[in-house]
Amino acid sequence: MACLHDHSCEDHDCSTDWSLYKHIDLTKVTALNESVPGSVKSVFKAWEQRLSSSEEHLESNEGDPELLVYIPFTSDVKIKSISIVGGADGTSPSKMRVFINRDGIDFSDAQGMQAIQEWDLAENLQGVLEYQTRYSKFQSVASITLHFPENFGGDTTQIHYIGLKGEATQLKRDVVATIVYELMPNPSDHKARSESGGGLSHVE
Amino acid sequence: MVLEATMICIDNSEWMRNGDYSPSRFQAQSDAVNLICGAKTQSNPENTVGVLTMAGKGVRVLVTPTSDLGKILACMHGLEIGGEMDLAAGIQVAQLALKHRQNKKQQQRIIVFAGSPIKQEKKTLESIGRKLKKNSVALDIVNFGEEDDAKTEKLDALLAAVNNNDTSHIVHVPPGPNALSDVLISTPIFTGDGEGGSGFAAAAAAAAAGGVTGFEFGVDPNLDPELALALRVSMEEERARQEAAAKKAAEETSKQEKGEGQPSGTQDATMTEHASVGTSEADNKTTDLMDDDNALLQQALAMSMDEPATGHEVRDTDMSEAAADDPDLALALQLSVQDSTSDSEDQSNVSKLLTDQSFVSSILASLPGVDPNDPSVKDLLASMQSQSEPQQKNEDKAPKEEEKK
Repeated sequence: MACLHDHSCEDHDCSTDWSLYKHIDLTKVTALNESVPGSVKSVFKAWEQRLSSSEEHLESNEGDPELLVYIPFTSDVKIKSISIVGGADGTSPSKMRVFINRDGIDFSDAQGMQAIQEWDLAENLQGVLEYQTRYSKFQSVASITLHFPENFGGDTTQIHYIGLKGEATQLKRDVVATIVYELMPNPSDHKARSESGGGLSHVE
Repeated sequence: MVLEATMICIDNSEWMRNGDYSPSRFQAQSDAVNLICGAKTQSNPENTVGVLTMAGKGVRVLVTPTSDLGKILACMHGLEIGGEMDLAAGIQVAQLALKHRQNKKQQQRIIVFAGSPIKQEKKTLESIGRKLKKNSVALDIVNFGEEDDAKTEKLDALLAAVNNNDTSHIVHVPPGPNALSDVLISTPIFTGDGEGGSGFAAAAAAAAAGGVTGFEFGVDPNLDPELALALRVSMEEERARQEAAAKKAAEETSKQEKGEGQPSGTQDATMTEHASVGTSEADNKTTDLMDDDNALLQQALAMSMDEPATGHEVRDTDMSEAAADDPDLALALQLSVQDSTSDSEDQSNVSKLLTDQSFVSSILASLPGVDPNDPSVKDLLASMQSQSEPQQKNEDKAPKEEEKK
């Protein structure tokens, strides 16, 4: 499959470039104002599948084009550029604002806060456009939040693919602050030894 | 066990003075709030609950989301009733309080008690609902107190705007004998989106179903689980022992007598219940035997005829006392005797019909392909007749003997 970028693709393989999706902590990905809860997880896939629109995609609620996507990573990453494939008929997002290393942002926060970087997007149905970041600001990213405030006039906003290009470091951010300790033992949290099939523990 | 931060919006407007929910609307609401707080904190120890009032001088947050149940219960004291409820402002302040929760991992939920009429327009409420949905805040509405079509319509519209995948609910509680909290226990507001009730909710539901007196055996399983367990186990053991004794007794009676089903005596109140059960069981056995084997039945009946006078003496002396004492047992015995007589009469009626030649031939004539004048059919009829006659004789004898009793 020919790569439509304006460079010669023999030098590198596009799919490995866009492989940051492997470092995304998919269980913790959330989106606000999505019409189908959990559909946001389907937009992170390999480069080759970015145009396969047969599966689910991320869609906002009727009459409200705003979307907010929160993406945590399993280790700190450096992000070079971002690619977004939207939907047809004006459902593609027209603006993107990005926040780094903040979780729990909601729409009122996003509208008030100063974004790390903002882009005006173009309709990118073929997935050929990429938006470069100010790399110095994206050096150790543990989580990124994408805010799409507007679209090209459609009733909803659709996103079929979000691609991230960059490299992953093996470092992990210090996460002690977010640990919540058990105040009371919760039996459902602890599988009994009998359930996990173990017998006696032994020391070797 | 969803990790959740909840804000409860209380209506403390003038309409809450009304007494159509006992003891007063406000009191019923407080009880419900206490129960909800308990349920939420029990279902997951890291859940937090906060409370705010919507009426009075203005919306006031009494306690920000906390997992300390004592603090929440304490702030419910000394609340004053007055003013008018401002639903929109209440919900917005609740949303703000939830936004600034400490643990961002918690799901956000608002529970609103709407007792007084609603001033706001439906459109305002719908836009508030949409905003809640957009920020993935769930909303539970308890519609009680004032019954007003416009109010119900507005609340339903609000729920429709907020509801995302059935995480939000509305409950309409009309005034009545049931307490507000009892009605709420069985709703998804307590049981939490169909996951199944937490232990607290289940125990409370059992209490509500059982009556106002309290939990099963009068002991709160939450307060003293070991005692509750011990009581339950001993009750089951007692029940099992009684069932075994009743079974043994029923077996004994069916062996000895078929006409009467008196169990070996016990004075236990429950035993007499089992006695009447045993009686009816023996009775059924009696009718079955009649169908199968008339000769044996003759013998059994003869025995029972001889014995009734001596029966009481032969048996435990307790038995006669029990029969005398317990009118139910005596009645059961009478009924069993009557049943057996009526059964035998039915039997004889049927056989009489069969022997009636003309009736049989008319039936046969109606059957296609059977010619009543056919000799083979006639032979069959004759044999049937001879068979039915001795049967009839037995039948006649049996009721007569029974009537002698």
